[in-house]
Amino acid sequence: MGVESIDALFADVPESVRMVNDLPLPDAQSEEELLADAKRLLGSNLALGDQPSFLGAGLYRNFVPSSVFQLVTRGEFLTSYTPYQPEVSQGMLQAMWEFQSLISELIAMPITNLSLYDGSTAAAEALTCAVRVHNRKAEQKDTVYISELTPPDRISVIHNYCQGAGIEIKMLRHDANGCINLEDVARAKGSCAVYVEQPNPLGIIDGGYPSLKEIIGEHTALIVGVQPVSLGLLEAPGHYGADIVIGEGQPLGSPITGGGPLYGIFGCTQPYLRLMPGRIVGRSIDVDGKEAYCLTLSTREQHIRRHRATSNICTNETLIALMGAMHMSLLGPEGLEHLAVRNMAACTQLKRQLATIDGLSFPYEQQSHFNEFVVELPATTSSCLTYLEGQDIVGGFDVSAWYPEKTNQMLLTVTDQTSQSDINHLVESLTKWAKEVSA
Amino acid sequence: MGKGGERLSRLFDHYGAEGKGYSQPAALLSASELNLPSNMARKQLPRWPRLSEPEMVRHYTWLSKRNFGIDTGFYPLGSCTMKHNPRVNEVVAQLPGIADIHPHQPEHQLQGLLSIYYEMQEMLAICAGMDSVTLQPVAGAQGEFTAVRCFQEYFRHRGEHHRTKVIVPDSAHGTNPASAAMAGFEIIEIPSQEDGRIDLAALRAVVGDDTAAMMITNPNTLGLFEQDIAEASSIVHEVGGLMYYDGANFNAILGRTSPGLMGFDAVHYNLHKTFSQPHGGGGPGSGPIGVKEHLAPFLPSPIVDRRAPSDEEKNQAVDEYWYTWHTPEHTIGKVQQWHGNAGAVLRCWAYYRRYGKELRTMSEHAVLNANYLRHAIHREAKAAGVDHLFVDGADTIVAKHEFTLSLGPAKESLGISAMDVAKGLLDMGYMAPTVYFPLVVPECMMIEPTETESKETLDTFAKDFCKVLQLDAETLHNAPTTTPVRRVDEVYAARNLCLRHPFDDE
Repeated sequence: MGVESIDALFADVPESVRMVNDLPLPDAQSEEELLADAKRLLGSNLALGDQPSFLGAGLYRNFVPSSVFQLVTRGEFLTSYTPYQPEVSQGMLQAMWEFQSLISELIAMPITNLSLYDGSTAAAEALTCAVRVHNRKAEQKDTVYISELTPPDRISVIHNYCQGAGIEIKMLRHDANGCINLEDVARAKGSCAVYVEQPNPLGIIDGGYPSLKEIIGEHTALIVGVQPVSLGLLEAPGHYGADIVIGEGQPLGSPITGGGPLYGIFGCTQPYLRLMPGRIVGRSIDVDGKEAYCLTLSTREQHIRRHRATSNICTNETLIALMGAMHMSLLGPEGLEHLAVRNMAACTQLKRQLATIDGLSFPYEQQSHFNEFVVELPATTSSCLTYLEGQDIVGGFDVSAWYPEKTNQMLLTVTDQTSQSDINHLVESLTKWAKEVSA
Repeated sequence: MGKGGERLSRLFDHYGAEGKGYSQPAALLSASELNLPSNMARKQLPRWPRLSEPEMVRHYTWLSKRNFGIDTGFYPLGSCTMKHNPRVNEVVAQLPGIADIHPHQPEHQLQGLLSIYYEMQEMLAICAGMDSVTLQPVAGAQGEFTAVRCFQEYFRHRGEHHRTKVIVPDSAHGTNPASAAMAGFEIIEIPSQEDGRIDLAALRAVVGDDTAAMMITNPNTLGLFEQDIAEASSIVHEVGGLMYYDGANFNAILGRTSPGLMGFDAVHYNLHKTFSQPHGGGGPGSGPIGVKEHLAPFLPSPIVDRRAPSDEEKNQAVDEYWYTWHTPEHTIGKVQQWHGNAGAVLRCWAYYRRYGKELRTMSEHAVLNANYLRHAIHREAKAAGVDHLFVDGADTIVAKHEFTLSLGPAKESLGISAMDVAKGLLDMGYMAPTVYFPLVVPECMMIEPTETESKETLDTFAKDFCKVLQLDAETLHNAPTTTPVRRVDEVYAARNLCLRHPFDDE
């Protein structure tokens, strides 16, 4: 090829910017050495499956059926790129169209995309999308309202996405019972959007949500964040007035994986279609009139619209969404319902047994909870977590990480993986601990 | 790739069926014992299909046979770096110590993960000549957005609120202007020179007090190294602006030069390209960013730091250090709620460990393969008498990790477009190269073989590419014919929007 050396291939790199020394990195490893290191290092992490675990707060350890893992690692799915050549990408395109169909039914929204990065960026993109749609007619321009209970880390993501568009984020108050204050919601009328979560971040199933849309009116988007498994029991937001529904898809189909990769659910009604973020698959035909699938409405996207795109998203979470589709395919409607019942039953059972412990109380006792709830402890949550760790239990989430004044509150989470013996073990340990700290 | 048979398999054909693909234990309480507010109880379950496990397995296996991955065949998709994904990476990422951990677990339960994060932060900083790295952004585009947000806070911190403009060359990836616009910046697009390289005069003409940054990739989207890059950096720095390196093409230069040496202040890494995380049909990815010291206080929170362990910590430490989460002083906060795509970071860590200090050879082989393939295509085209049908997209002696061809002559003389040739290649069992990008090359084909392909594969592809060029125009207009479906009507899809399964009663 007329080139004498590797160096000649880099002759176009000016001498002034050349790297002269070797990279100060360790030696290459064989596959065996690498695996040994990976097992040693990752083996030192405490895997939640090794102990009873009550940690959730946004990510949930649900069982993922074996066939999902077996199928998703098929190389044809795993090693393909974004389906720009639809003729040889029909498998993933059809799978994502079916994913859209499954999610559309789950959340009762006519339109869905094929995933965003995670629940937090889905919430952020939903808010900026709502501003694009409603700002022209809005009385409160560039303004959105979100529940004050939204976890601070999620608010931070929302803030980063909103500030570029000059969007002001205002907080909606909650009553002492943990439910949204419907009178306060009236302030949001005339703004671009209201964002709430169901169940809310304290695990409460808020019965006030069916009134929200009527209060804020048709020119303000109602955005509801969901935990998808809960929708086996809870009404789909599309049936109580939501305009956009988002969610963290992880509990359907994916392990927690240290917090990523996950997948963000995004669905909306017709008025948002042309200003929504993310890739969308449409069903079409090929030149012979045969059923075929392709990406559609691409003119919203960065590779065409550049700085006027509705989002900068390019890579999304297709493969994790595929795991979600596979899991939903196995569950069917009744399987989802049973999964939801198992979550809520374990939650109810844990609450009942904890109620017998002196010194523990439930700040939102009168409310209904899906799979997590807050318990008020007789001493700091951090001291309790240390004690539980000594009992080989991964305790709940320390609520003071969100609201610093709530030093004694713990958010306890169950999933379909929580057994009666896990619950018994936690209740016994907390009983002993409560006695010790009150003595 | 087969067509998967003529019989179609559709998930929603199982709607109304009786399949039961799950087995679950009984709930701890019966449904009647649950206290659900009546106005929140779901009235109708989702209209989902019901499949047995064998039906579900067959459906997705059938779908997979209608999909083309790197595992199926050569995937020379320019700008996407479609290299082989070693399977050991998948084994690593599914170990319980990563799959089954929660980001809210305390540091002492996650020392192994934190040590790997630290190692990756250090390695990436070294490779790019940067001082500090965050692994939180979950895709390249999100990395761009994160870095531009850091720039914004940096300028606000310095009271330079007037820096509102970001400069991008017209050949830039679409995500660059989209990301900067999302952060609220005004985009100034400057034309490239005719050969696709940066036009320093055009750059000089637009920089000023209002310049926040310039975003550029090097080698550029034509696969050419921007030799004036240091000069471009000086021009932007002289007016007080910052330089942003789009790491999409980092695979071409690793260990030979670095963004730091070229004068950049920040860079994103497409871990999924440079270090191999399977693309999964469109994601997940991972888009860490690296920055110079002056920008480090603004990085997203948290990053991993390390110190000597206390006596108590020593028995839980994985090495001589204790790893902790650290919040940068003026952090922009979060761009993803947790710690980024940890699973992707792990796979890329595994890929990196197989190279270690020899990472440079990875880039060298990527560049060697690209140049060899360019040479082989010209060689075979001459032998086959089709060398008049295309020209190089850029006049260059050596390309970097990818190169462009213009099918302009074929279009003019025979009416054969780059898309026709792409579809013809699908019939030969290849994934088509990227077409019509960058826009500066007419009838562009952008080819990137990556370092993991053998000489035999490249030779065969070069021959087959020429065979396609020898096909008559009608055959190529009709291609592909061997694929699961033939050319898909994208206009029909947009005009007759069908985005979900239509039920009979709708």
